[in-house]
Amino acid sequence: MEKLIEILEDIQPDADYENCTTLIDDGILESFAILSIVGELEDEFDISITPAEIIPENFNSAAALWAMVQRLQNE
Amino acid sequence: MSLTSNLFILFVFITVVLYYILPHKIQWLVLLVASYVYYIYSGPRYVYFILFSTLCSYLCGRLIEKFAENKDENGKTGNKKLQKAILICGLILNFGMLGIIKYTNFVVENLNALFHMELRGIEILLPLGISFYTFQTAGYLLDVYWKRVKAEKNVFRYALFVSFFPQILQGPIGRFGRLANQLYAEHSFSGKRILHGCERILWGFFKKMVLADWAAVFVDAIFGAPDQYSGLAIFGVLFYTIQLYADFSGGMDVVIGVASLFGVEMDENFKRPFFAVSITDFWHRWHITLGTWMKDYVFYPISLSGWMGAFGKLMKKIFGRKKGRVIPICLANLIVFFVVGVWHGAEWRYIVYGIYNGLIIAFSGLMADTYRTWKKKLHINDKAVWYHIFCVVRTFLLVNISWFFDRAESVGDAFRMMGYAVTQFDPSQLLTITTGAGGTVQTITVLCILGAGCLVLFVVGLLQERGISIRERIAAWPPAFHFAIYLGLLLAVGFLGSTASVRGFIYAQF
Repeated sequence: MEKLIEILEDIQPDADYENCTTLIDDGILESFAILSIVGELEDEFDISITPAEIIPENFNSAAALWAMVQRLQNE
Repeated sequence: MSLTSNLFILFVFITVVLYYILPHKIQWLVLLVASYVYYIYSGPRYVYFILFSTLCSYLCGRLIEKFAENKDENGKTGNKKLQKAILICGLILNFGMLGIIKYTNFVVENLNALFHMELRGIEILLPLGISFYTFQTAGYLLDVYWKRVKAEKNVFRYALFVSFFPQILQGPIGRFGRLANQLYAEHSFSGKRILHGCERILWGFFKKMVLADWAAVFVDAIFGAPDQYSGLAIFGVLFYTIQLYADFSGGMDVVIGVASLFGVEMDENFKRPFFAVSITDFWHRWHITLGTWMKDYVFYPISLSGWMGAFGKLMKKIFGRKKGRVIPICLANLIVFFVVGVWHGAEWRYIVYGIYNGLIIAFSGLMADTYRTWKKKLHINDKAVWYHIFCVVRTFLLVNISWFFDRAESVGDAFRMMGYAVTQFDPSQLLTITTGAGGTVQTITVLCILGAGCLVLFVVGLLQERGISIRERIAAWPPAFHFAIYLGLLLAVGFLGSTASVRGFIYAQF
């Protein structure tokens, strides 16, 4: 999770990733940032993220992102 | 049947009456029949195209789901290859039809010009709403493939999702997951909902008939003879801003208002685009359903494709981690905006319009880190009011430059008019433009109507931008004021609406 927060802060600073649960709904993460995050997560955690995974439910919070990473690692 | 015609109002009235007096179980059937009556009335020969698109996507959707559920000899579910093959087949059939009808003549013209050939084009009128329902059906197929929605089993219900009459001509581009269940649900009569729907429709009529159609008189004159009206180039593009926004968003108000009469809440297509602080933000507020469609079904799949991944790795090697990460996204973004341009029409000016937007967004993406550093060094607070206003004005100017390509007769005309805009300025030429049928209305009167209308639009936008719900505020006033406001709007439409000519909606031709 720490590594994930590090990635998020590197790509899109100035957001409260510990507490925010509306990263997509409030437009904090735009499509460029989302794709940058996807690229970094794929490299860092050796997972493959398909377009089907890019839904607000998976990207609205750091916790949701972490849950997606863990799920994809187990698949 | 134009959305602003008396016949359309009568048609909607009859459909609403039938919708609520017939058994609720068959409400969706009332909508389906009404949708097909509307479509066939608009042009009987177009119906084959929508039927083809409906049946293709319905069958492909069912097959994709069937193969996703089937088990092989190892007990594993889902034959992914077969599902993908069916998906591609469905997309080719849908987009192939659109491509052949919409782009054959463009390709033929360019081949003839390039290679001095004499190929013949095809003579076919663009079927109504084809660009909208093709995207809707393609989105449905991808959603089924990605298991975001279950495939619809009833072909008639699915046909309603594709053909729902308020949206068929100019969107919004609906998503099956959000729209379909609302269309199939039973809705009880609600006076409040009907009133809200009528208010929204009236607001749309005001925008279209008082603002868009009057602005169009000046736009047509100036863009039709750019050399004659060279001193008005800058006014031409400003009037086009008024026309396009009032026309398209006014049309959406009518569409969303009519849909709400049936208890269907459609996706919003506009969110005060001229308050945007960047071109990216503008596309989050302008033609929203096209933007989100492109993002979900073109931008993400291209960006996450294998070849783009390989390209990304190469870019990281050459330009380092940060820049190399963004370059493939910029390329995907350019491809998306090329498609957006082509979607608008088979003409080079639309392609330039798309690429212009794509280049600005790609450049912003590439420079995002650098901008952040500059702002830090220059101690610029991006929450400051002056910076916000600067961003809004900058975006407005950039958007207006793009309109030259969108509206001019050719790319050459667009560049020529841009030149006039910065070198020639003669507002007195405005008074030489004839307004009204045979010049029956004083030009100065029309300019005053447009000025007042824009002021109303700006104030409403500003209040909404601050989170104030105008509708709720008005509803809280005494009924007499409430009534007076809407009577005023109705009278404005009746007395101040354009008498120049009856005009269709701009986006209905796409």
